[in-house]
Amino acid sequence: MSELLEHLQANLQQVTGYIYPNEIELHWSLLIVIYPYVTGLVAGAFILASLVEVFKVKEVASTYRLALLTALAFLIAAPLPLLAHLGHPERSFQIFLTPHLRSAMAMFGFVYMWYLMLVLLMEIWFEYRADLVRWSNERRGVMKLVYWALSLGSRDLSEKAVRFDRKAVYAITLVGIPSAFLLHGYVGFIFGSIKANPWWSSVLMPIVFLFSAIVSGIALVLLLHYVTTMFRRVKPDMACFNKLASFLMYALIIDLSLETLDFIHRMYESEESIEILAQLVVTKLFISLTIVQLLLGTIVPIVLLAIGRFSRIPEEVKRVVFFIAALLVQVGIFSTRWNVVIGGQLFSKSLRGLTVFKMQLGGIEGLFMGIALLILPFVLLWILIKILPPWDQQEAS
Amino acid sequence: MRLWKIPDQVIRLAVLIVIALAVLIVVRLRFIPDSFGEIGHYRTDALKEQAALTLHYAGMQACIECHDDIGEMKAASYHRNLSCEGCHGPAFKHVDDPGEFSPAVAAGRIMCVRCHGYLASRPTGFPQIIEAIHNPVEPCTACHDPHDPTPPEVPEDCSACHAEIARTKAVSHHWSLSCETCHEASPEHRQSPRSFLPKKPTERAFCGQCHGNGSSSRESAPQIDLNEHGGRYLCWQCHYPHHPEGR
Ligand code: HEC
Ligand code: HEC
Ligand code: HEC
Ligand code: HEC
Ligand code: HEC
Ligand code: HEC
Ligand code: HEC
Ligand code: HEC
Repeated sequence: MSELLEHLQANLQQVTGYIYPNEIELHWSLLIVIYPYVTGLVAGAFILASLVEVFKVKEVASTYRLALLTALAFLIAAPLPLLAHLGHPERSFQIFLTPHLRSAMAMFGFVYMWYLMLVLLMEIWFEYRADLVRWSNERRGVMKLVYWALSLGSRDLSEKAVRFDRKAVYAITLVGIPSAFLLHGYVGFIFGSIKANPWWSSVLMPIVFLFSAIVSGIALVLLLHYVTTMFRRVKPDMACFNKLASFLMYALIIDLSLETLDFIHRMYESEESIEILAQLVVTKLFISLTIVQLLLGTIVPIVLLAIGRFSRIPEEVKRVVFFIAALLVQVGIFSTRWNVVIGGQLFSKSLRGLTVFKMQLGGIEGLFMGIALLILPFVLLWILIKILPPWDQQEAS
Repeated sequence: MRLWKIPDQVIRLAVLIVIALAVLIVVRLRFIPDSFGEIGHYRTDALKEQAALTLHYAGMQACIECHDDIGEMKAASYHRNLSCEGCHGPAFKHVDDPGEFSPAVAAGRIMCVRCHGYLASRPTGFPQIIEAIHNPVEPCTACHDPHDPTPPEVPEDCSACHAEIARTKAVSHHWSLSCETCHEASPEHRQSPRSFLPKKPTERAFCGQCHGNGSSSRESAPQIDLNEHGGRYLCWQCHYPHHPEGR
């Protein structure tokens, strides 16, 4: 008890104005920032892959498989911050056993399952099936068995079967695009539907989330493409970089306009919460919103990408410019999530005061855990790339 | 010949999905507790489990059964709304067996300061002290009876009972007005407040005495057009009379 009081006392010193007792400490911390960030990367990477598949964008075709694997790696990691935050990960499977159909939060399990099982895994399976059969024929030992199991024992390499694979991939992609929209739209909905919180409650939330997801996904694939090209020591495919950079720039511009729209809407509507939100934005969120999200995370990258696309600089420099822009976009999108999740809890529901967020270092909700959860998907991706190399195809051709 | 042959891949996936569904069904049969869903989206047995948890708090009603003297005293005091165990800590065991287990008697200063220490986020008017300068070192109970923190005299001033209003008014634009300017209160109100309630202003014209355009009863009062300003509403539907704000 006294420990708790001392802990609260430390936060209380930095509270301004009037807040309710249960608002002194934030309940959704770093992990809940990471969750929408990671899910956003999944949806974004997948939507990029789908656009490539559906609209047959030849320039970026080489990133298709990489984008799929990226989406899978991040999708596997996506629920972990939630599970860690809830404190009883071993009980999570019960959500699926006794589904609660009117709980928006419980629905995540189903949106997730649909997306993982029926969209992503199936698409990857059809995309890789012929290769899996081939690899299991070529390899010896354990890997032979692994590939055999992954191909579900399939042996058929006939032209007809391969053609069916392609058709299946196309069909799944068509289902996949709305599913990806649903996945991240859902995450936005979770926040946007909280009507008691004026910072969150907005019908634009799912859409803004979606577009920032697309932005972050494209940027991530661009980064990974850059890094993998470097490590594989192959000749960089400039057309691909250019196309990715254009996509990124357009997505950023749409994202920025949506955010601006949301902003103008709030300013004009000027509900009773506007004063405390204005205070929030100019004090507690000034750095993470104005400087990091808006300036470093959106405007600077747009300028960099425009320079890279439309000026005549050497190709190596261009790629570095793209790389930096994509990196800044990641930082920017992360702080977007931060501003939503943390920002939404910094002001009192009485609209009369602000509290502070103190991040822990250790512990299950701490900084180190957060870093580990952000590194994990890259480890998963590395393993996936080892098992399902995304490049074989082109090098063969 | 079959018209349409199901491709090999689809069959393999279908088998996998059927297996997954079968596993799901088996797991459901195995893991869903028996009493789940009988009366709601939870286990009925959970109710029994909750009811069987050890009690820590007994509640004020239980304390008053034996400590009726303290109960009465407290009920008439500033602390009437506080629960006994808020200060004395959980005491269910004590209720069970008073001889065996005694609740804590917090005799220092920390416990009171938890509620009365100055904090900007406490409501205006709540009695607060700065611990370091309010009669330091001595335990609070040396001067204040925790069960009746004020001396039982007929108070002179309205602020003795309406402390929060008085303190609020004291820092407002109306600081210079006495309560009686707006409330006609008989002396009996102080002895038996609820039987002799004072009057409250009832109409706009009342505030107009000082704030109406052209009124001269108070020079420093800002003036408004009584006919236009605020429409048909009573002034105190918009301005809290004890802390009026006009800007
Ligand atoms: C069954 C009757 C009974 C009930 C109910 C009861 N008490 Fe007591 N309480 C006693 C008796 C008898 C003593 C004196 C015991 C002693 O002096 O050792 C006592 C003593 C105390 C003391 C003084 C302990 C001390 O060390 O001087 C406190 C404080 C106290 N009770 C608080 C409470 C609170 C709070 C409750 C309600 C949760 C409560 N009591 C309910 C019978 C009761
Ligand atoms: C504001 C906090 C507070 C509340 C509320 C409170 N107490 Fe106490 N109580 C104290 C303190 C402090 C002491 C020690 C007094 C002292 O050291 O002189 C005390 C002492 C006591 C004692 C032992 C000494 C005595 O005066 O007989 C009893 C019995 C007791 N309280 C019972 C109760 C009961 C019953 C209630 C609820 C009706 C209650 N208290 C509510 C703070 C509180
Ligand atoms: C759980 C919170 C709480 C605790 C602990 C507490 N009080 Fe209080 N106290 C109150 C409340 C509530 C009031 C009534 C305020 C009002 O009427 O506006 C009050 C009123 C008072 C007043 C009257 C102030 C005035 O308006 O003139 C005094 C004196 C006081 N308490 C002293 C104490 C002392 C001494 C202790 C420690 C034994 C104590 N309090 C512990 C909540 C608490
Ligand atoms: C030496 C005696 C003494 C001690 C010890 C003491 N007080 Fe007081 N307290 C007074 C007197 C006298 C007043 C009324 C005059 C005043 O406001 O200073 C008062 C007033 C108060 C008030 C009302 C303040 C207001 O603005 O109306 C509170 C609350 C209070 N005390 C709480 C405490 C607490 C809590 C402690 C222990 C940390 C404590 N007192 C210790 C003598 C004391
Ligand atoms: C002994 C304590 C006490 C004193 C002293 C006291 N009051 Fe009151 N007053 C009360 C109580 C108790 C109520 C009833 C509150 C309720 O009904 O919730 C009350 C109610 C009121 C009301 C509201 C009446 C209504 O119809 O709602 C006014 C106005 C008021 N008091 C003014 C004053 C003024 C002015 C003074 C000083 C001359 C004063 N009081 C002194 C205890 C007191
Ligand atoms: C400028 C005139 C004005 C002054 C001065 C004033 N009051 Fe009032 N008071 C009002 C009005 C008007 C209401 C009725 C508000 C309502 O009906 O909502 C009121 C209501 C009240 C009430 C009833 C409930 C409440 O909290 O609103 C109490 C109690 C009260 N006053 C006490 C006091 C005391 C004590 C003082 C002196 C410290 C005081 N007032 C000074 C105008 C005044
Ligand atoms: C519909 C809400 C409303 C009502 C009813 C209302 N006011 Fe106001 N009052 C305001 C607002 C808003 C302001 C501040 C903006 C302004 O100056 O118009 C204000 C300002 C004032 C000011 C400050 C003017 C200045 O120049 O600083 C005074 C004095 C005032 N009101 C008195 C009254 C009186 C007396 C009544 C009853 C006859 C009343 N009000 C009724 C809303 C209201
Ligand atoms: C006895 C005269 C008097 C009465 C009656 C009176 N007031 Fe005032 N009021 C004043 C004075 C004097 C001031 C300016 C005090 C100052 O200079 O800060 C004032 C200031 C104000 C202000 C302006 C606050 C600001 O921000 O400048 C408002 C609003 C107000 N009163 C509302 C009311 C309302 C509502 C009533 C009726 C319940 C009322 N007054 C009754 C004398 C009065």
